[in-house]
This record gives sequence, C-alpha cells and structure tokens, in this order.
Amino acid sequence: MTIPKRYSRLTGAALIALLPVSAAAQVDLTLWHMEQPPHRVERVQILLDEFNASHPEITVSQEPQNWGEVYAKAPAALAAGAGPDMLFAIPDFTPILKGIGALTSVEDFVTELDAVHDFNPSAVEAYSYDDGVWAVPLYNMSMNLWYRPSVLSAAGIDVPTTWDEWKAAAEALTKDGMYGMGLPANQQLYTDQTVYSVMANGGASEIYNADGSLNFDTPETVAAYSFYNDMLAFSPPDAASWTWGEAEACFASNSCAMIMQFSVISTYDTQAEGVASDLGVAAIPSKDGGDSNTIAYANAVMLLSQDDEKMEASKTFVRWLLQPENYGRFLNMEPGLFMPVTADGAAADSYWSDPMVEKYRGQIETVIENSQNGMLFGFTSGRVFPAISAISAQNVLAETLQAIAITGTDAAQAVTDGQARMQDLTE
Amino acid sequence: MKRALRWNMALAGVLFMLVALIVLPFWFVLTGSIKEPSEIIARTPTMIPQSFSLQHYVKLLSASDYPLYMMNSMIVATASTVITLLLAIPAGYAFFRMAFAGRETLYRAILLAYAFPSIVILIPLFGIFAKLGLIDTRLALVLVNVAFALPFAIWMLRSFFAGIPIEIEEAARLDGGAPLTVLRRIMIPLVAPGIAAVAVFTFVTSWTEYVFASVMILSDAKRPMPVGFSGIIGQYQIDWGLLLAGASLSILPVVILFAFVGRWFVAGLTEGAVK
Amino acid sequence: MKLPRHILPFAFIGPAIVFLAAMLLWPLAQAVLLSLQSVRSVGTTGEWVGLANYIDVLTDTDFWDSAWLSLIWVVANAVLQTLLALVAALALNQSFPGVRIARTWIVLAWIVPTVVVVMIWRWLFSTSGGIVNPLLLQSGLTDRAIGFFATPNMAFATLVFINSWRWFPFITLMMLAGLTRIPRDLYEAASIDGAGPWKRFTRITWPLLAPTLGVLLVIGTLLSFNVFDIIWLLTAGGPADATRTLPVLIYETAFKSYRMSEAAAVAVLATVFLMGFALLATRWLARPPEAR
Repeated sequence: MTIPKRYSRLTGAALIALLPVSAAAQVDLTLWHMEQPPHRVERVQILLDEFNASHPEITVSQEPQNWGEVYAKAPAALAAGAGPDMLFAIPDFTPILKGIGALTSVEDFVTELDAVHDFNPSAVEAYSYDDGVWAVPLYNMSMNLWYRPSVLSAAGIDVPTTWDEWKAAAEALTKDGMYGMGLPANQQLYTDQTVYSVMANGGASEIYNADGSLNFDTPETVAAYSFYNDMLAFSPPDAASWTWGEAEACFASNSCAMIMQFSVISTYDTQAEGVASDLGVAAIPSKDGGDSNTIAYANAVMLLSQDDEKMEASKTFVRWLLQPENYGRFLNMEPGLFMPVTADGAAADSYWSDPMVEKYRGQIETVIENSQNGMLFGFTSGRVFPAISAISAQNVLAETLQAIAITGTDAAQAVTDGQARMQDLTE
Repeated sequence: MKRALRWNMALAGVLFMLVALIVLPFWFVLTGSIKEPSEIIARTPTMIPQSFSLQHYVKLLSASDYPLYMMNSMIVATASTVITLLLAIPAGYAFFRMAFAGRETLYRAILLAYAFPSIVILIPLFGIFAKLGLIDTRLALVLVNVAFALPFAIWMLRSFFAGIPIEIEEAARLDGGAPLTVLRRIMIPLVAPGIAAVAVFTFVTSWTEYVFASVMILSDAKRPMPVGFSGIIGQYQIDWGLLLAGASLSILPVVILFAFVGRWFVAGLTEGAVK
Repeated sequence: MKLPRHILPFAFIGPAIVFLAAMLLWPLAQAVLLSLQSVRSVGTTGEWVGLANYIDVLTDTDFWDSAWLSLIWVVANAVLQTLLALVAALALNQSFPGVRIARTWIVLAWIVPTVVVVMIWRWLFSTSGGIVNPLLLQSGLTDRAIGFFATPNMAFATLVFINSWRWFPFITLMMLAGLTRIPRDLYEAASIDGAGPWKRFTRITWPLLAPTLGVLLVIGTLLSFNVFDIIWLLTAGGPADATRTLPVLIYETAFKSYRMSEAAAVAVLATVFLMGFALLATRWLARPPEAR
C-alpha cells in the first residue's frame, strides 16, 4: 500500500522538478473509515488506485480505523492537526466533530450533487440541522430479520409479521441446541440498534418532542423493552456480550434460527452453506402487524480539511465516487450491506452486476425495500436532538435494556431511569 | 531427596493442571487455525483436526498487511529494549553502588511510576507528542514503552548489582579503573543474565502494548501487530478461522525468540537472586 | 571520564530520571491541571472551576461503585494469581524429567499480546463455535451452555480468571527465583531431623519465601489495578457496569461522555489512593521481618 504512494509522490516531485511552470502542486488526501474487514479495505483500495491514476494531481490514501477507538482518536487527532481530510461515519458522529469546530457546512456541495444524482431525502436529512448540511451522504444501511426458510418450514412456522407471531416462532425454534432468536444485550452500539428497531415497530420511534423535551419515558417504550426482554429467553446465554460478529457467527453455525442484522450475506456465503435459496430476509415484525419500521444509518463523508486546496480535491474525489460506474462497486465492498443513497446509484449497472449481488439479488431487493421505512433515533422528523451524540456514545438505549435484562429492574422503572440519564447527558 | 509416592502423585497432578491450563488453549488455537471453516464452527469440537486447510493463512497474508504489522512490532520492541537497557543499566548501578543525597527517596519515587492509572496520561501525552510532531510515528510508541518498562527494569537491575560481591568491584577500582570502565568491563558481564532478563521483560511488554498504540498510530502502515490484528478481526464479522490464524502467527515470533533466550530469562531471574 | 565524584552518580541516573519525568510526571501534572477545569471533549478549552469536578465525582455513586469494584478486582487477582503461581513455583522447584522445558515455557501465556489473549478466550468461551461450552456439555457438568460474560458475577469472575491466567506465569518465575535462593542444605538438615514435606514447607520454605511474596503482592496489586485493555476489549465494563473498574470509568468518562476534566479528577483520586497504598506497602516491606 505504501510503495505505490511513495512512488507516486516521487513521480509528482519529479514532475514538478521537470516542469516547474505547468505542473500543479500535488495534493495528498487522507481518508479514514471504519470499514476495516480486509475485503472492504481491498475494494476501497482498488477504487482509490483508479482515482489516483485518473487524477495525477491528487493522491488519496485510506487509513481504516476501529469504532472502538475512533471516539477518542478522531477529536484528539484533529485537535493536534493530524486528523484526516475525509471521514466516513454515521450521523451520531457528526455532532461530535461539529462540536469541536472541525466541520463547515457543505450545503452548496450537496445541492450540486443532488442535482446530478438525486439524493434520497432522508439520507440528507440526518445531516441537516443548525442551518447547514454537515456531511455528504454516501451509503445507507438498515436492520432486517434473517432466517433460513428450511429451518422455519421444518418447524411448520411462517415468517412472523407481528410481535406475537415472532415470540411464538422464537419459542418453537428454541430446541435441540438451537436458539430461536439471537438478540444482543451488550452495552454497545449493536444493542442500541436492535432495541431501537423493536421500539420503532412498537410506536416508540420518537425519543423526544418537537419542543426538544424528552419523550423516551412512554408506555410504548416500556412495552417494547418488555417484549425485547421476553425474547431474550430464546437467545444464547452469552448474548449479553454480543456485538455484530457474534450474532452472525451464531446464525452461520446454525445455533441461532433468526437474528436481527444489517446483512449476513457475506458471512453466510463464506462461512456457512452459501445456498442462496435457503437464506431468508424479512422486515422486522411490528407490534400488531402494521407497517414495519427499522433503524437505518445513512453513512456520510465528512470533509474536514481546513485547507482550501485540499477541500477542493476532497470534493473532486466525492464527485468521482458518486459517479454511477464507480459508486456501485464502492457499495459492493460488502454486498447487501451498503445500499445506494442516490437515484442513479440505485439503478447503476455497477451495483447490480457484482457476482455476489447477482447470486443474492432477491435478498438485496428485500433489504432495499425494507429500508424505505428506515429511521434513526435522535434524527427523526427532520430534527436533531442536541445530546444525541452523548446518548449514542454512552449507549443509553442498551444500558436501559441491561438494567431490565441483567439487573432485573422493572421495565417501567428502567425506562424512567433511562430518560433521567438522557436528561443528565443533555445538560 | 526421595519423595513419597503421594507427593509424586500430587506433583503429577499439579503438572497436569499446568499443562491443561497453559498448553491446551494454545493447542486448540493452533489446530483450529488449520481446520476448514465448517469444522471450526461445528457444534462438537474436535481435539485432532479432521480437515486440513491453509486457507485462513492465505487469506490473512494476502488480504492484509500482516507482515508489515509484524515488522513494525519488531522494530518498536527492539528499539524499546535497547533504549531501556541504555538508561536502566547505569541507573540501576548508581542506585546500588553510589552514595548520593536523596538516593532512597528517588528510588522509591521511581517505583511510584506504577502507582497511577496509566490511561490518564494518554491525552496529555498525545498533546505533547502532537507538538513535537511525534503522532503517528513508531518513535512515539518506543518512548511510551520505555517509560512503562524503565522503572521495573531499574528495580530488577539494582537487585542484580546487589548480588555482586563488593570486593570484586573494589579490586577493579583499586587497579585504577574509572567508574564507567568498571561498569562496562567488570560489572556488565557479571550481571549479563540479569540484563537478559530485563531485555526479555521489556521486549515482551512492548510487544504486547495495545492501548497507546491504538490511539497514537493513525496510519495503517505504522500499526504494530496487536492493533493491526484487532483491526483485521474486526468489529462487524467474526471469521474464527482468520482470527485463529492471526493469533497463531502473532505467537510465533515471541516463541522463536523465547526458544533462544528463554533459558537466559529464567536463569537470569533465578541466578540474580542466588548471588 | 573526569567528572567530580559528587556529580558522577547523577550522570548515571540523570538520563533515566529526566526521561521518566518528561514522559510520566509532566503529563501527570497536566492531568492534575485538567482536573481543575471544565474541559469536555479533546481539543476544546474549558474554564477554571477549582475543585468542582472533585465534588461531582466524590458525590457520584458511579465513582464509589467503580472504586469498590477496583478493590475487589485487585484482591481477587492478587489471591488467584499468587496462589496459582505459588503452586506452580513449588512444583517447578522440584526435579523431574523436563523441568527445564517446563520452567521456560510456562511463560507462554504471558508473552502473548493482550489482544490475542482476549481473542483466544473470547473464542474458547463462545457459545457459537467455542470449545469450553461443548466440552462442559459433553462431560455432563452442565446441561445448558454457560454465558461466561453474560451475568455480572460470571463476567467478573471470568475476567479475573483470564487476567490471572496471563500474569501468573510471570509471578511464578519471580517466585521460583525466591525459592532457589533458599539453601538446599537447610532442607537436607531438616530431612535428617525427620521433618516431612509439609513441615519443611511451613518451617523453611514459607518463612524464607515470605519477603519475595510480599514484594510480588505489591507489584501484582499495582499491575492489576492498572489493567484496562483486557476488560475493555472483553466486556467494555459491562454487563450492567459489573466490570467497570476505575481505569474503565476514566476511559468512559473521557471518551464516551466527553467529560475530560471529570475523568482527570477520577484519575487523580485513584492516583492518590494508589500512591498511599504503595508508600505504606514499601515502608512495610522495608521493615525487618520481626517487626512486621
């Protein structure tokens, strides 16, 4: 990875030396992202190599980071002037960077891109507040229910659509060393996501009111938590320490009949049977069978450079990345996980022609369809809750679940405590 | 000394427990790393692999910068060891042999270096390193590792010097040797096992350090192995085969190192105490 | 080298002292200053607030819960790893075929990077693909898979086990050093007098090993108090804060709640406790054995 970069730097320097008048100065850009699995890094590198080859005056290099450390690392590095020029992250992260003054509004740029590619409005919305747009949406992901049709039919069960059916299915499938429904109870982001997905399907999607006051302590929230806690009985005993990976491993090893996850396609394909017809995906069941909701993250690129030239070069890169012929390949760094946020990206040949996407096309279409009702706590209804970064960094939703599931606190009391905790973080 | 049968049985029992405790986990890791994925996640684990595959190693080495992480760790650990020894040997010597005001107080103060949560200096140190342009350099890691290993190294070396009869040193000094010459010619060879022990201690602590490296290194090309490893294993998916292959490879260099110097490490620790 | 005699010692220890002061003392002083301000996230500035952070911390139950957990953590680790190490050291001090190999390779667990230790045990204890649970189920010791990180007490105990597993080999070696210092002829004389193994242990081994044990207990206490990475990577302080010792609380306060100054205050308080302990302990160890 380093050698080509050094080489191109050298060539750049040589060019400047040879052509002192005409050559533009070389711009080096650093891109941070949290897509650390080797195959994702590899795909991003292919695209970067192409971009760097077609734009000799710009060199973009990637530095994958870990969610575990980036909360400490990004603000520290930016404060020290050693931060990245571009960062791929989720809406929760934007207020943190904005809070330390690292972001400027990119509203004009997003408008320009929107005219060409037509952004999905909800993706832009998650970054629009305080009279600005603070990042450029890049890829969407949403939570789904994954299962094996053969396992369900062997037990004579239909895909659940209501909470009652879901519970009955989980109960019936919990036998012979298999767990019906793998659900996490860790104080970690994954649990926030699954808990909120259940809340959003029980009429508790708004955790605060239009006037900015909290709206977490409601009967709907309590009902959602009680239901989730009941479902944990059909989960493996170590679910209290799960993150995304353990859930997928549980599903792949056939120890879990169903799990909630963004996408399990690549794990299923490489570590489990890999038979496309026996991988099922459905919307998360809603309380009484109405419209299904889910949690959705519109990931975006935050442009952090304080230098005009670098900022302009970063924009050139983002423009290039969103071109349909590049964009589809970018999304397919993890097939079935990252969904397009632009209209021309959703139709792009480069997206649908990937071998893995062709193999699991049915599942991916369902995932895209499910994501239409995606929402994100703290970013609903076109507003952003001021303390959402702290609430999300502290995993208050998951903390509330732990109070019920592990400490044994009554659900109503735990939710009241949860709201008090959120109030505390707002101050 | 003859041991009664029941003491032999007790000894055998303890040794069996030690083997189960230390060797068995590594056995499962090493054998797991060459199993097919389906055998790794099978509900009934196998003691002896039923399948053989190098696919996890191939994936690890082709899709990641693993050899680079290894190289970084080697460089950082070696440099940390050398610098620690350069600082600790004269200091350990002075603390034991030389009379000066405040010696005891200083000596105690040095051991207090372990009496605070090291995590607290992460941010101030980050700020200092940023001013010095040391963020995202291997040198930063070397400095951190030396700082954490040095107090213990001084403490250990001091007791090694303590084991040398004062007559040897006095004889050397009467022959007209300057203190530095005495240290270099007479003392260092005598405490060589102790130096080996300190070197291994420093190397291992540097080799295993994670928290500071994870925050202070920003670019992939400079990551030491523990940080690079946790990145490959990842946050979203668990590929047990890849994890086990990575774990096996990460153990390899220290095992090789230990095969050569391990004897000295153990002998160094024990001999130092004997004298 | 022609330095005056009274300067020479400082030429020897000076570099080490200056280095440690720059790398540890100076940042520590900055942390103390930070604890008197109201800085929230890294890179922002705050105002001077005097002791307000200390009052907040000391009146917060989270701090006392964590302090209590840290105390149990330190004691549990000290007991477990010292016991394991004592048994291992006594065994390795005997002569039997292969004792040299055993003495060298017992440190295998200690030379493996923490991250790898964490990964290995996470895998071994996992309920999907792991080893320990299937073995327990097969042997009939339990009829339901055990969630080793699932309940507060279980998670805490599991972490103590993993941390002690990593550290006891190192302590074993230090103890072995202490054991070899005991002269062989003492044992032989005792044998001739008809003392059995147990009597030899209580009359000779134990009293002569006690000083080494004391030093190792102090070092072990300071080292285990500081353990952060194993806890953070395995449970991140959970479930339900059951493993949130003080270092974890400091990290969480600084980087998840974005209250840098409060985190610094917690750290300074922890430092005061630890320094107090270390000073008392070193003074106690420095006393002659009869006075203890």
